[in-house]
Amino acid sequence: MKFKKFIRTYKPFTRAGMLESVQYRANFFCFLIGEIMSCFIMFFVWKAVFLSSDSETFMGFTMEDMVVYLFITFLTGYLTYSDGTYAIAMEIRDGSIAMRMIKPCSFDMCFLFQELGNKIINVLFIFAPLVLGVEAYRWAITGECQFQIQHFLLYVISLVLAYLISFYFNVSYGFMAFYLKNLWGADILKEVIINFLSGATIPLAFMPEILADVLGFLPFSSLSYTPVMIYMGMYSGMEILSRILMQIFWLCFMVVLSKIIWNHAVKRLCSQEG
Amino acid sequence: MIYVNDLRKEFKKAIKEPGLKGSVKALFSPKNEIVKAVDGISFHVPKGEMLGFIGPNGAGKSTVIKMLTGILTPTSGTCEINGFIPQKDRQRYVKEIGVVFGQRTQLWWDLALRETYAVLKEIYDVPDKEYKKRMEFLNEVLELDEFISSPVRTLSLGQRMRADIAASLLHNPKVLFLDEPTIGLDVVVKDNIRNAIQKINAEEGTTVILTTHDLADIELLCDRIVMIDKGKKVFDGQLNDLRHEFGQMRDLQFELISKSDISKLNYKADLKLSDEDVKIENEKSSVSVRFDSEKVSVEDILSYTLSKVHVKDINLKDADIEEIIRRLYRQEVSIDEV
Repeated sequence: MKFKKFIRTYKPFTRAGMLESVQYRANFFCFLIGEIMSCFIMFFVWKAVFLSSDSETFMGFTMEDMVVYLFITFLTGYLTYSDGTYAIAMEIRDGSIAMRMIKPCSFDMCFLFQELGNKIINVLFIFAPLVLGVEAYRWAITGECQFQIQHFLLYVISLVLAYLISFYFNVSYGFMAFYLKNLWGADILKEVIINFLSGATIPLAFMPEILADVLGFLPFSSLSYTPVMIYMGMYSGMEILSRILMQIFWLCFMVVLSKIIWNHAVKRLCSQEG
Repeated sequence: MIYVNDLRKEFKKAIKEPGLKGSVKALFSPKNEIVKAVDGISFHVPKGEMLGFIGPNGAGKSTVIKMLTGILTPTSGTCEINGFIPQKDRQRYVKEIGVVFGQRTQLWWDLALRETYAVLKEIYDVPDKEYKKRMEFLNEVLELDEFISSPVRTLSLGQRMRADIAASLLHNPKVLFLDEPTIGLDVVVKDNIRNAIQKINAEEGTTVILTTHDLADIELLCDRIVMIDKGKKVFDGQLNDLRHEFGQMRDLQFELISKSDISKLNYKADLKLSDEDVKIENEKSSVSVRFDSEKVSVEDILSYTLSKVHVKDINLKDADIEEIIRRLYRQEVSIDEV
C-alpha cells in the first residue's frame, strides 16, 4: 500500500521527465550524434594502436574486445550519466531550490524519478540499436554468435546499480554547491577524474597492477568498468558476485552520504536574492 | 493558528574590497560579516485572517516568509503553524500550505500548464472528484482556460502569475503564503488576482499571509498589517490605525506660471498654521505643500493658493506606503503598543 502510494506520488515526475526530454528534439539528436562521433574517434585511435602493435592482442584485449569495450562503455556511460550535480547546483545557485522545498516530496526522489523519465527515452532510442550493432559486429568478426543471455541480464542489473551509484554520487556532489555557491569549475574537474578512474577512458586492465587494484576498490569502477566487464564475460561467476556486492556497498555508502550532506547543508541554506 | 516567537535569522556575508585586487584577496582570505536579516520578530495570526506584511526592500519580509514555509532554518526563535514546526516535519507540513513567490515559478517550465497541474494533483494526493471541482473553481476566478494548453515558458507574466496562484491552491491549503503576488502586473490582472484571493479567503476560510509594495493590495485584502524594517517589527495593527497615525499628511503640488509669484504665498502666516502642521518646499516654479489634513482642509489650501497666484498644474498626492514607512522610520518610533 505504502509502495503504491510512493509510486503514485513520483510517477508523474517520470512522465514529466519523458515529456521534457522529447520537448527539445533537435537538442536530443545533436547530443546523441555528438556522443556517437566521439565514440568513433576513440575507435580509430585504438585501431591505430592495434595496427602498430606486433601481436594480435594488447594487454589481453583483442581488437574485437576493444571495439566491444568501447561501445559498451559508451552505452553504459550514457545510461548511467546523471545530471544531478549540474541540476542541483543550478537550483541552489539561482535559489529555485526553494520551490522544491515547498512540495511535499522527498528532494532526491523527485530528481531520481524525473531523470528516470529521461533514461526511458534514452533506452528506447539507443540501447537496442547499440547492443544489436555490437553483437552483429562480433558475429561478423568471429563467425559465431557471442551473445549470452545470462551475461546480458547480469549486465542490466549491474547497469541499474551503476546508475543509482552515479545518481547519488552526483546528488552528494551537487549539494556541495551549498558551500561553494557556484559549482561549474568543480563539475568539470569531477567529470575528467571520473572518466579516468572509472575506466571509461582507458580500461583498468591496461593500468599498472597496483593502480588497477586500488581503483577496483574505489566507487568509480562500479560506475562503468564493472558492468562492461560483466557484459564482455571477462569475469568468472564468483568475481561477478563480488563485484555486484561491491556495487551494492557503494550504493548504500552514497545514499547515506547524500543524506548526511543534505541534512547538514539545508541548515546552511541562505536565500540568494532577498 | 500561526505563532511566531522572537524569530531571528543571521547570514554570513563575505566582505569584498572593491576591484579586481579585492576580489583576488577575498579568494584567498575570505572575510565575513554577520548580517541580521530578521531580528526578533513575534506575531500571532488567527485562522481565516488576511495579514499583510510590508516594509521597504531588504527589510526581511521574504526571509520571514521563507522561514515560515520551512525553506530556511531560523538562527533562533520559533514558529509554529497549524501545530507544525515547518523545519521539523517539512513533508507533512507543506501539504497544508500553498506558497507563491512572485519572482519565481513552481510551474514546469517546458511543459504545458495542464501537465503541471496533473503532477501537482498526484503529489498532493487530490482525489479526482475534488480535483475537477477545484479546477473549475480556479478556472472561473483566474480564467486559466485561454492558456492551459500552452507551455509555461510562453506565458506572459500576468498569465504565469495566475497559473502560479492556481497551482498553490489546488490542494486546498489551510494557509496561503504570497510573496509579492502582484509584482509587475497590470491593473486588470491585479484586480483579477485580488478577487481570487478574496474569494478563496471568504469561501474556504484560508488564512492568507502576503507581502507587497502595493498599498492597494493591502487596502483591498488585508485585515491587519505587520510592518517591518531592518529586520524589526515597527508596526502591527489595522491599516486604519496606521493611516490615522501617519496617513493624514497630504501633499499638494502647484506648478506656477510665474516664478516670481512664489513670494506671494505665505501659508503659515495667512492660514495661521504651525511648523508642525505644514511644510513648504520650493523648487524652480513649483511649490509643494505638505500639510496635516486634520488641521487644515485640502479646500482651504487650494482656494488660498488660487486666490494668490496663477497656477498651471495641480497634483495631489496621497501618503503612500513607502512614504509612511519612511516617516515611521525617520521618527524612530514603534507603535506596537498602540
